[in-house]
Amino acid sequence: MKTSIRIAKKEIKIALREKLVLALSCIILVLLGISLYTGAIAYQQQQEAITKAQKEKREEWLGQGDKHPHIAAHFGTFIFKPKTVLSLFDFGLDTYTGTSVYLEAHYQHQFMFRPAQDHSSMIRFGELSAALVLQILMPLLIIFLAYASFTREKERGTLRLLSSQGITLTSIAWGKIMAYFIILLVILVPFVLGILLLSYLLKTPDTITDLGIRIVLLGAAYMAYIFMFIVLSVLVSLKSSISRNALLTLLTCWILFTIIIPKTVANLGESLYPLPSMKIYKEAILKDKKDGLDGKTPRAVRMAQLEKELLTKYKVDSVQQLPFNFDGVKMQAGEEYGDKVYDVHWGRLLDLFNKQNKLGSYASLLNPYIALRNISMGFSATDLNTSVDFQKKVENYRRVFIKKMNDDMAQNSKYGEFYEYSVGLDMWKSVEDFEYNTPSIYATLKKYTLELTSLFCWTVVLILLLNYITRKTKPTNG
Amino acid sequence: MLKTNGLTKKYGAFTALNALDLEIGEGDIFCLLGANGAGKSTTINLFLNFIEPTSGNATINNLDVNEHALETKQVLSYIPENLMLYPSLTGLENLDFFCGLGGKSYSKAELETLLQQSGLQTDFIDKRVQNYSKGMRQKVGIALARAREAKVLLLDEPTSGLDPKASNEFSELLLEMKDKGVTTLMATHDLFRAKDTGTHIGIMKEGVLVEKFESKDVSFQDLERLYLKHMHN
Repeated sequence: MKTSIRIAKKEIKIALREKLVLALSCIILVLLGISLYTGAIAYQQQQEAITKAQKEKREEWLGQGDKHPHIAAHFGTFIFKPKTVLSLFDFGLDTYTGTSVYLEAHYQHQFMFRPAQDHSSMIRFGELSAALVLQILMPLLIIFLAYASFTREKERGTLRLLSSQGITLTSIAWGKIMAYFIILLVILVPFVLGILLLSYLLKTPDTITDLGIRIVLLGAAYMAYIFMFIVLSVLVSLKSSISRNALLTLLTCWILFTIIIPKTVANLGESLYPLPSMKIYKEAILKDKKDGLDGKTPRAVRMAQLEKELLTKYKVDSVQQLPFNFDGVKMQAGEEYGDKVYDVHWGRLLDLFNKQNKLGSYASLLNPYIALRNISMGFSATDLNTSVDFQKKVENYRRVFIKKMNDDMAQNSKYGEFYEYSVGLDMWKSVEDFEYNTPSIYATLKKYTLELTSLFCWTVVLILLLNYITRKTKPTNG
Repeated sequence: MLKTNGLTKKYGAFTALNALDLEIGEGDIFCLLGANGAGKSTTINLFLNFIEPTSGNATINNLDVNEHALETKQVLSYIPENLMLYPSLTGLENLDFFCGLGGKSYSKAELETLLQQSGLQTDFIDKRVQNYSKGMRQKVGIALARAREAKVLLLDEPTSGLDPKASNEFSELLLEMKDKGVTTLMATHDLFRAKDTGTHIGIMKEGVLVEKFESKDVSFQDLERLYLKHMHN
């Protein structure tokens, strides 16, 4: 250990004297600073806009005046997806999942105003988020820092001198790993402090649960990723005869990890589990609502059945004799059937999303970048799971809200009476404002067991491999 | 102190070292002469455990270098033909670093004294090694051997490419260390240096030690004649 510490000190001293390392570190730090700053600005602006819009829509809802509850159900309201404070670090899928949804009776509207719609096509290459810098550019810095860790010693002849001092290659390797890890930690300290400060300063009534645990877990995952890339770089350098070969091997790994494998997996997922177009998806829902899920029970038949059941149940001859407004019950029955149809189609769509995601999760076992990217989005609550959870909770809210309107119509108005009946502020107030909290961190952890296993296995396997190879390798050969 | 028993190294069909039997006593300077590829560096690499023998063994203080690699390296110091240090560190920093690896700790003043005693000019001590000549780097190597209180010196053509003055200084330092009981195995092409510095001389050819004698028993002319005879045969 003492030997490794001494080697680490020497490596740090040499790295500090090498301008290239300093320049690259500065570039990474500046990029992290810019991404954090822009992330914070975007978070603040969007959060303010969302809060303002949500307040305006709530006021609109409360101030809509007296009217029939079903008209109010079509008057509807808007729900805005709140930003989580960690989205300033990892934008995740927020750019693509839309920010608001219109809620009304009969229809499950799609999320609107995806930020990506307002960006140029360049957005396809990814926005500059701090997570992106750490996931993609940080490994590049590690590669440039460590690719020659052993090859340069071999080329200079210092490795023979080092080995002749009676120290093992294992000690040398761990000294180098320690040095690079410390250098990167030092680069990251101001960045981490910046995140913590911004999280504290910008923490509006936030929707994210377990923020502290999430930050700690994010830090641990990124540390493991950085550590893993350092071990990989040192290992490749140890096995390479010359620095150029080590650099080429590591750059190839980087391209495979960050570009080729993720794109291939995404394309494979899309080919194996193709998603229907929005047009087809909407048309299928409309058709099933119209003709019934079995294609044989159109709306008119379903309503006739309902009427028959109720007349039998209440032992009356006409809907006028029912102790409630049949129109209200019919509305709710139509609504519930629509929900069932929506659940079937949304379930199928979700199943495809999950299959595509599962493929990505399995691919993360081969690719630590995919593992970290998924974990980072998950812990930052900007992933697909959080988005789906939000959509489910919004849909539940819509159903409760519409049911309240329909139930009021059924219980308090008379059959055939529509414009004569109205409700007012008390009713609108009884519809509580929508509040969202992300799933707990424990639920998130369960979703990412494969990715967490991948990071753990990659780190452990590389450590074992490094120890094995350093014990087997002589300083005179690669 | 240094001993080999039937030490052999083969690379496929090529025999780099063939059944070398050698014994070097404490305080001796054994110079191995021979053309390139004769097996001199292979012998040194085998003592350093940089390569594994095909058969036979090499021992330092009766410890097999292959089985006790770390222990045997604790007592030796190695200076290759072109001692490479860390160019962005100063001579003093390099010395401090390598001493520390061997578990030796010296003050800055002590390190400066060691470098000065090894012949390094004072104004170069705090300069980065990238500005050093080969001779200066070899002197840092000697300072390191002194600092580590090495009992064994393994030198692989250490004076190759040095100017006569630097070579002479280097030889003087070796003799100083010999007087302190340091055992040296030096591979060299320099017949004059071998005769002048060595206590024993061996001539190697195609992996075989073809001649072995004490240097006091031959004149420089005899040594040259003997060497050329073996090289021409």
